[in-house]
Amino acid sequence: MKKYLILCLLLSPVVFSSLLGTAEDVRFDQPALITSAGQAAEVHLANVLFKRAGLTATLNKTAEAADLEGHKTLILVLGVSLKGLGAAGIDAGHEKKRVESLLLAADEQSIPILCLHLGGEARRGDLSDQMIKTCLPHAAAVLVVKDGNKDGLFTAICRNHNIPLIEVEKTVYALEPLKNYFRQDRRP
Amino acid sequence: MKSPDSLSGHPFHNLRLRIRLPFFRTLGLLAAVLLQAGALPAEDPHQPRNIEGRRGMVVAAHPLAAEAGMAMLQLGGNAVDAALATAFALNVVEPFASGLGGGGFMVIHLAEGNKTTVINFREKAPQASFPEMFLEEGKPSRRLQTAHGLSVGVPGAPAGWDYALKTYGTRTLKDVIEKAIRYAEEGFTVSPTFSRINKDEYEKLLLNSGEESVYLNNGFPYEPGDTFRNPELAETLRIMADGGVEEFYTGLIAEKIASAVRGHGGLLTLSDLAAYNVREEPPLYGQYKNLTIATCQPPGAGGLHVIQLLNMLESRDVKKWGPNSTEYIHFFSEALRFVFADRARWMGDPQEVTVPVKALIGKKHAAAVAGRIQPDRILGSYPPADFPETEHEKTSTTHLCVVDRWGNIVSLTQSIESFFGSGIVPEGTGFLLNNQLGDFADSTCSPNAPGPNRRPVSSMGPMIVFQDKTPFLVLGSPGGTRIFSTLGQILINVVEFGMNMDEAIEAPRFFSYSVEGAPRPIHYESRIPSEALDRLMALGHSLEKRSPYDRYFGGAQGILIRADKNLLIGGADSRRDGHGLGY
Repeated sequence: MKKYLILCLLLSPVVFSSLLGTAEDVRFDQPALITSAGQAAEVHLANVLFKRAGLTATLNKTAEAADLEGHKTLILVLGVSLKGLGAAGIDAGHEKKRVESLLLAADEQSIPILCLHLGGEARRGDLSDQMIKTCLPHAAAVLVVKDGNKDGLFTAICRNHNIPLIEVEKTVYALEPLKNYFRQDRRP
Repeated sequence: MKSPDSLSGHPFHNLRLRIRLPFFRTLGLLAAVLLQAGALPAEDPHQPRNIEGRRGMVVAAHPLAAEAGMAMLQLGGNAVDAALATAFALNVVEPFASGLGGGGFMVIHLAEGNKTTVINFREKAPQASFPEMFLEEGKPSRRLQTAHGLSVGVPGAPAGWDYALKTYGTRTLKDVIEKAIRYAEEGFTVSPTFSRINKDEYEKLLLNSGEESVYLNNGFPYEPGDTFRNPELAETLRIMADGGVEEFYTGLIAEKIASAVRGHGGLLTLSDLAAYNVREEPPLYGQYKNLTIATCQPPGAGGLHVIQLLNMLESRDVKKWGPNSTEYIHFFSEALRFVFADRARWMGDPQEVTVPVKALIGKKHAAAVAGRIQPDRILGSYPPADFPETEHEKTSTTHLCVVDRWGNIVSLTQSIESFFGSGIVPEGTGFLLNNQLGDFADSTCSPNAPGPNRRPVSSMGPMIVFQDKTPFLVLGSPGGTRIFSTLGQILINVVEFGMNMDEAIEAPRFFSYSVEGAPRPIHYESRIPSEALDRLMALGHSLEKRSPYDRYFGGAQGILIRADKNLLIGGADSRRDGHGLGY
C-alpha cells in the first residue's frame, strides 16, 4: 500500500498555496477603495479579507472616478455576474463604461491598481473574460484564486505586461499576500 | 427492520465490496493517479446519462439525498417514506435550496385505488401582513422582499412532510430523519455548485447571519472540496425526531424562529407558527394529446402555466419544427409572454382571491392566444386574458421524484425561495429561513398582494403525467419563473422530439417573459445554434446569452415510466448536482 501512496504523492499536483511571482517591487498604501468590476459577490470577500488583514479600505460596489479622492490604492474585484448587475440595476455595457472611467482616473492620478479574481473557475466566461482583459493591463499587481487561472489567461496577460501575479489555492490564503503588499517596510 | 448499514442489496454496498478486491483496488488507484496527472479525460458531467431501474427509483438534487431515499426504498419503505427521507437529507446536503425553514408542493399517486392527491405546504404570510409591507418610500424594496425579516413566511415544510408521512407513509418521523442527522454530523464534501452559490449569496449571509454563520467557513464561503458539517442542524433534527414537528411549531424551535425573524424586522409571531395548516387538495388536471398532467393548484402556478403552454403548442406541428429550431423557440417564447401576462393579472392565493383556473387552462383561451402569434415577427404587446365573471371559480422550489416497487409515486418541489433563503438562521438551529414572501407582487392592488395568512403565488409545478391513465412521467424543477418554461420544454423534448429522460433534461434551454405587456429578451443557453439565433433576431427578438448549462434555467429531475418494458428511466440535471439511483 505504501508504494501506491508514494506514487500518488509523486504524481499529485501541488495542493498548497503557491506564489508564482514574488512581486517584491510593488507596494500599496492605505486607505484603499474596493470596488467591483462586474458586480460579482466576491467584492464582499475582498472587503472581509481587508478587514481581517487590518487594512483600511472603503467598499463601494459601484464607485465612480470621484470616489477615488482620499484613497491611495484602487482594488478592483474582477468577475461579471448577471445577477449582481441586475441587483445593481445596471447592464454589462454600463458597468464596462464605469470601470473604464475608473481605470482612466486612477491612471491619471497615479493611484496604483490591485486586481483580485477570487471567484475561481466558476467566475470566468465571456463577460468576465472581457472585463479581465480590460482591467489587467492597468494593474500594478494581480492576485487570483488558482483555479480561475486554469487556462493561463491571467499568466499570459501578466507576462505580456510585466505585471506580478500571485496565485493562491483558496480565497482565505489571499490574506497573507495582501498584508504583505501593504507592509510599510516594503520597497516602494 | 434492518439498519441502513446492513443494506445487503444497496448498490453502494456492492461497490464497497468490489473495491476491497486487490485487483480493483490497484486499478482504482492507477486510474486516480492517471486522472490527477491529466492522462485520462475527466468525465463530462453534462453527458446525458439515464438511470435505470425496475423496482424503484429516486432522483434528487444531490447524490447523498438520492442515497437516503434509495436506502428507505430498500428497507421496504414506500415512495412517500423515501421522498421524505430524501427531503430531510436535502435540507442538509443542499441547504441553500430547501429545508425546514421553507415550503412546497407534493403530488402523490397511490397505486392502490389509483388515487392522485396534492399536499400544499406553501409558506403563509403572518397574520400582521399588509399590502404595503414591502414598500420603502412608496416603492417596492428588493431588500425588504429578499433579505429582511419581513420576507419570511411561516414555514410549511415540517408540517407538510409530517402530514404526508402520517397520511400516506409507513415509517416514523425518526426513521425518515435518520440519514439526514448522520450527514449533518459527519459532513460531506462541498461541490463546485455549493461553493459557487455560497459565494454568490455571501453578502446576504454576512448581513443576516454574520461571519460566524454555520453556512460560512470561518467567515468565508466554502470552497469545492471543503467538508461541510452542520451539528446544530443535526441537533434540531434530533429534537424533531424525538418530539415531533410540534417542537418546530410550538416548542423551543418555534421561539427561536420568531425571535430571529422579529430581530430582523419581521412580523412572524409564535401564534403564526402555531396556526400553520397544511392543505390536501385535489390535483389540477390538464390534457396534451393523449397525456393527462396532474399537478398542484394555485398558488402553485407552475403546473397551470405548463398546461397553458402545452395547450397553445398543441395547435402546431412541433415535431416538424424540431428542437432548437427558430420556429419552435419563437412560438414558445411568444406563448410564454402571454402566460406571464395572465400570471400577473390573475394569479393569487385561491383561498383569498378568485382565480379563473378553468378558463386559464381551457383550450378556447389557448386557441385564441395561439391564433394571435405570428410566424414572421414578434407581436410586441402581450395583454392578459379577460374572462367573463361567470367563468370565475374559487379553487384553490429543489425537486425530487420517487417511484416505488408498488407503483406509488411522489413528485415533490420545495423551496426556501432564493438561494440561502433570507440568509437568516435562527440561533443554534442550523437551518435557513425562507424569503418566500418576496413572491408577493410589487403592486398593492394585485391579486397576489401581501395580506394576512395569504400564501404567495409560486412557480413550482411538480407533476405526474399519465398516458392513457397509466403513469408515464414524473417531473419537476426549481428555477423560479423559469420553472414552467423548463418543464414545458422537457415534456416536449420527450413527447414530440423523442428524447430519452436525461437527454431531454440536458438539452439546451431558453426562456422569455413579458412585463406589463412588453416583451423581454430570450435568455438562451449558448449551445443553441447561431443560425437559429440570427433568425430569431430577424423576427424582432432581443437575445441574452447564458452559459452552456446555466443554473438560471433550473435543475430538473424526472423519471420516465416505461410500463411496456417494466423499466424506470431516470434523469437528473447536471446544471446542479442532480443524481439518481434505481434498483
